[in-house]
Amino acid sequence: MIGQLTAGERQLSVVILIALVIIGIAMAAAGRFDPLGIHGVVVLLCSGVLLARLLSSLFEPEPHPERLSKYYDDPIKVGIVFTMIWAVFGMFVGVWAAAQLAWPSLNFDTSWTSFGRIRPAHTTGVIFGFGGNALIATSFHVVQRTSRARLADQFSPWFVLFGYNLFCLVAVTGYLMGVTQSKEYAEAEWYADLWLVIVWVTYFVLYIRTLARRKEPHIYVANWYYMAFILVVAMLHIVNNIAIPISLSHAKSYTVWPGVQDAMVQWWYGHNAVAFFLTAGFLAMLYYYLPKRADRPIFSYRLSILSFWGITFFYMWVGSHHLHYTALPHWVQNLGMTFSVMLLVPSWASAGNALLTLNGAWHKVRDDATLRFMFIAAIFYGLSTFEGSFLAIRPVNSLSHYTDWTVGHVHAGVLGWVAMITFGALYTLVPSLWRRERMYSSMLVEAHFWLALAGTLIYIFAMWNSGIIQGLMWRTYTEQNTLTYSFIDSLVAMYPYYIARTFGGLLFLIGAIIGSYNIWMTARGAPVSRAEQDLPVVDGPVSPATPAE
Amino acid sequence: MRELFHRKLERTALGFVFAIIAAASVGGIVEIAPLFTIDETVEDVPDMRLYTPLELAGRNIYVREGCYACHSQMIRTLRDDVERYGPYSLAVESKYDRPMLWGSKRTGPDLARIGGKYSDFWHVAHLTNPREVVPESNMPAYPWLARNELDLADLGLHLKAQQSLGVPYTDEMVENAARDAYGQASPDTDFASGVTERYGERTQVSTFDGVTTQVTEMDALVAYLQVLGRLTDAAYQGTAAEELPLDASN
Amino acid sequence: MDVEEVDPVSGRKTTGHEWNGIKELDTPVPRGVLIFLVVTHLFALLWWILMPTWPLGTTYTKGVLGTDQRQRIEEDLAQSQTARSQWTAAIETRSYDEIMADESLMEFVRASGRQLFGDNCAACHGTDGTGRFNYPDLTDDDWLWGGGAENIAETLRVGINAAHDETRVAEMPAFGRDQMLDRTEVRQVALYVHSLTNPATSTPQNATEIQAGREVFLSTCAACHGEDAGGSQDMGAPNLADNYWVYGGDMQTLITTIHGGRRGHMPTWDERLTEVEIKTLALYVNDLALEKR
Ligand code: HEC
Ligand code: HEC
Ligand code: HEC
Ligand code: HEM
Ligand code: HEM
Ligand SMILES: [Ca+2]
Ligand SMILES: [Ca+2]
Ligand SMILES: [Cu+2]
Repeated sequence: MIGQLTAGERQLSVVILIALVIIGIAMAAAGRFDPLGIHGVVVLLCSGVLLARLLSSLFEPEPHPERLSKYYDDPIKVGIVFTMIWAVFGMFVGVWAAAQLAWPSLNFDTSWTSFGRIRPAHTTGVIFGFGGNALIATSFHVVQRTSRARLADQFSPWFVLFGYNLFCLVAVTGYLMGVTQSKEYAEAEWYADLWLVIVWVTYFVLYIRTLARRKEPHIYVANWYYMAFILVVAMLHIVNNIAIPISLSHAKSYTVWPGVQDAMVQWWYGHNAVAFFLTAGFLAMLYYYLPKRADRPIFSYRLSILSFWGITFFYMWVGSHHLHYTALPHWVQNLGMTFSVMLLVPSWASAGNALLTLNGAWHKVRDDATLRFMFIAAIFYGLSTFEGSFLAIRPVNSLSHYTDWTVGHVHAGVLGWVAMITFGALYTLVPSLWRRERMYSSMLVEAHFWLALAGTLIYIFAMWNSGIIQGLMWRTYTEQNTLTYSFIDSLVAMYPYYIARTFGGLLFLIGAIIGSYNIWMTARGAPVSRAEQDLPVVDGPVSPATPAE
Repeated sequence: MRELFHRKLERTALGFVFAIIAAASVGGIVEIAPLFTIDETVEDVPDMRLYTPLELAGRNIYVREGCYACHSQMIRTLRDDVERYGPYSLAVESKYDRPMLWGSKRTGPDLARIGGKYSDFWHVAHLTNPREVVPESNMPAYPWLARNELDLADLGLHLKAQQSLGVPYTDEMVENAARDAYGQASPDTDFASGVTERYGERTQVSTFDGVTTQVTEMDALVAYLQVLGRLTDAAYQGTAAEELPLDASN
Repeated sequence: MDVEEVDPVSGRKTTGHEWNGIKELDTPVPRGVLIFLVVTHLFALLWWILMPTWPLGTTYTKGVLGTDQRQRIEEDLAQSQTARSQWTAAIETRSYDEIMADESLMEFVRASGRQLFGDNCAACHGTDGTGRFNYPDLTDDDWLWGGGAENIAETLRVGINAAHDETRVAEMPAFGRDQMLDRTEVRQVALYVHSLTNPATSTPQNATEIQAGREVFLSTCAACHGEDAGGSQDMGAPNLADNYWVYGGDMQTLITTIHGGRRGHMPTWDERLTEVEIKTLALYVNDLALEKR
């Protein structure tokens, strides 16, 4: 892979890595009495290893110029490996966290394994580790194919990929050490946040430069969503994470937003992390891999426009539905609620667009587990957005908020939608990327599908039950108009569901492990395909097609 | 017409970028900016007091251990919330909270008004092993809190950072941060009086974990738990909630 | 259109573009979606008119209904109090004996008391009131401060060693630590106390030790616990002869108690709970003990 880099790119990489090594040493020295120092060592080790690897083949011959007429797929392959590593790690931690709620002694009374610390390790591991790598890898794939252009350069994709994974690693190890800002889905501390800004800006620039090289006059829908994902996540991340560290040698910082304003900023961020990370990004995936696999045209271009702009505009208003009945002023809650209801239209429009695209390919859905993954994903996308809009209605939220119902909703979204669409996309992408005829074992794909579906259903039914029971127990009144149950009564009622959820999660995890094995074996040697699946890169400037109308 | 426009938009990556930024900016601006300009957003109360250095350290431990993952600190304007946990939370009560810890999940009960509800002794036993006092509990045990000595040296930096964000800590408070933290957990020493002088008579000075030889993380966390809901009495005034104002001297 | 192309399955035209093999149909937005769009927007519009919603610089639109969540909750709470008032008024005004004699009121006490106890007291005394390490059993009918709902209500109101001005104070001095007794004396008196509830442990071999312990007891402890070790409910000094223990009656715990003293903390509920709630709880706790017997 290093052989593909030009001498200039190798030198640039060396410079950047040396800079990182120095930063690592500086952090380790300045923070020697603080967890910051440990993160310095992490940075040092990661960049050191890469540097050694690079230096060992620094003087390999220049790559053949012919490479420029091919897609640049090496970073995508590495990205897929990262995706699956994080999937297994993150879901394992999820199962562990679930088990701790049923059997609390499973943390072995150790600080770094206690529930409050592994929970963010789980959410970050799956959302940013698994989801983020999948988005980066597929976006590199999709933008090249739909633009018929090679990535704009060879350095930035690696910088984005490794830089991003360094962020995830620092974030997750930080939570285990107790380094956290406590802002959900943005828990990483100031230095990791800053680093992510640099990585993200590079990502954006790379993406735009590649799009600018496109040979198709129009930008395909999938790229609209990837762009929205990259841009809006940058906005959200920067605003929510503005904080001042207590000193440059400490990991600890204080956010600039106080109290009620912090609550609003956090959930403006938190909800839209869902919207632009877990929804827009994965819709991009859906818009490419689903029609590709089904070999059907998108049902309606006009519906695509309606849902894209609806989602981009409406989503940003609804964060306050996480704060119903709180000390946030009532007017903001009402805005959040009404926009959440209107948001259902574009949400369902995109789910419907996906499902109707399958018209004419239903027999494939029946026979092909890969396409079935994507079909089920679209169903769960529709279901969880409906559920979301429903939960955003204040009286409904008065029951669901703070209970497992929220967690059930979350996992209908993340297991049923995010993880399923990712697996479907990967099973489509992997054989074509490694030039295989098919996945190593289609039986294992089938097994993975059923484990994932069963796991999801068990998980969400358990949480719907527990959440609704819990919510009802908290508000049940006796005939004499006094509360019926104490809090502890509701806790005792939760145990059977916590056990069931652990089991469902375990099935899902086993499925992910099987999937990783299958992907690994495919890469290592499924039957080679000679057929060219993608249209080739178009060399040199092609005059943009004349306007359509 | 719209379609024609969109077809054009689709052909320019930068145009698309600006369109996305424009569409995505409106919501946040309309909902966030007015929270700084509408005065009634945060109530004006005269008796709001500051976290002492020890309480602030405890708050940071609460964050570090992820207690917010299971506990909310937000009593909603709902009848059952108020009747179970006390008067609904006001915005002013988290005015100095960076970050806010309102929470999003109640695996355990709300803690917004836990201050003064139980004894220090109970909290220590509970945090050391919840199942010893509440057999039904699934809360993790935190035995290391009583073992870890609290890092007093850095507290000045914490107060200074807060001060620069507009929290009204005085320079004197910043200077005495470590001493005040020590004093609050050591009632029989000369340092104790400085704490009440600077932070008010209602500050709870106590041995917290029952051990006077060193200030531990347990001391800090219990001090924080005992002040929750007691920074101001505002929530108890002019409400139909049945409770009277809390006397904050425990 | 670049290319006029028709999808054979749906019979629809495509938009004429293609991205690595992916095409799009030119299907118009289905009417259902548009209707749905209108309906949700009308709903939102209606809500904006009725309720507080839009910010206007330093204020916001208050909505035609002129209500907000704080007003709502105050109304709800007032309503909830009225709905209970039939019961609460009776609890408030009637005497303990009257209430205990009235089965329907006691039903209220049991229902409401169970939740109040669960959310406030169970943390220390256990969900069933039987207590555990360091927290007294409330069902054993052995009282530190005297049984009966009235006494209990007073304990709840002022607490024990609590922040309340009138708090009950109960301190078992630290005889060993504060060097009022030496190590042998502590051991002897513990042995004596132990023998009160475990007669089998007194053997001819340790008779002299127990006798020595008894002497220490009479001179040092009897002032509070009484000569017969029956305790004093005026001082909250427990009965040491009945085999109901707060902290424990084994030798090890006895020595710890006598050496280091005890100062149990029972919070005051005066300000956290209303008078009616305290009365209800007192009756509930009293009832627990009665039921057990
Ligand atoms: C796994 C979830 C979980 C975590 C993490 C957790 N708790 Fe709890 N907590 C509970 C549960 C469940 C209860 C109710 C049962 C009990 O009292 O133990 C509870 C009860 C409490 C109570 C008593 C509340 C009352 O009104 O009775 C306090 C105080 C408390 N926790 C503080 C903390 C602190 C401080 C931390 C972090 C250091 C923490 N908790 C972390 C689940 C959790
Ligand atoms: C923080 C722990 C704690 C909580 C919460 C608590 N208690 Fe207690 N309670 C104690 C302790 C400790 C004692 C014994 C004090 C002593 O040792 O002198 C006690 C004593 C009592 C007594 C006196 C027993 C006797 O023998 O005279 C009663 C009655 C009682 N509690 C009832 C309640 C009720 C009812 C509640 C709830 C409203 C409650 N307690 C909440 C710790 C607690
Ligand atoms: C000043 C009064 C006082 C004197 C003198 C006193 N006690 Fe106590 N004792 C108490 C009080 C009050 C308690 C209850 C403390 C509590 O519950 O927190 C108590 C508790 C005890 C207990 C614990 C009972 C249990 O249920 O676990 C033992 C044992 C005991 N005393 C033994 C003694 C002995 C032996 C002596 C003499 C050496 C003694 N006491 C002298 C007041 C006294
Ligand atoms: C193996 C499957 C999984 C299991 C067993 C699992 C388990 C859990 C558990 C126990 C929690 C904490 C809930 C609580 O606090 O009560 C949680 C939270 C969460 N998980 Fe998972 N999880 C799994 C997979 C995933 C995946 C794949 C994703 C994302 C792609 C994900 C995203 C989240 C999120 C966002 C939360 C936070 C929810 C909230 O705060 O309301 N999980 N999960
Ligand atoms: C129309 C779309 C959606 C709406 C209106 C919506 C609305 C909501 C609401 C009302 C809550 C509960 C807030 C609370 O009471 O605390 C919530 C929580 C959540 N939703 Fe959704 N949702 C939508 C789609 C999704 C999707 C597709 C996913 C995942 C892929 C998702 C992930 C989450 C997560 C992670 C949380 C938990 C946040 C937290 O408390 O930590 N949502 N959503
Ligand atoms: Ca952060
Ligand atoms: Ca949450
Ligand atoms: Cu949301």
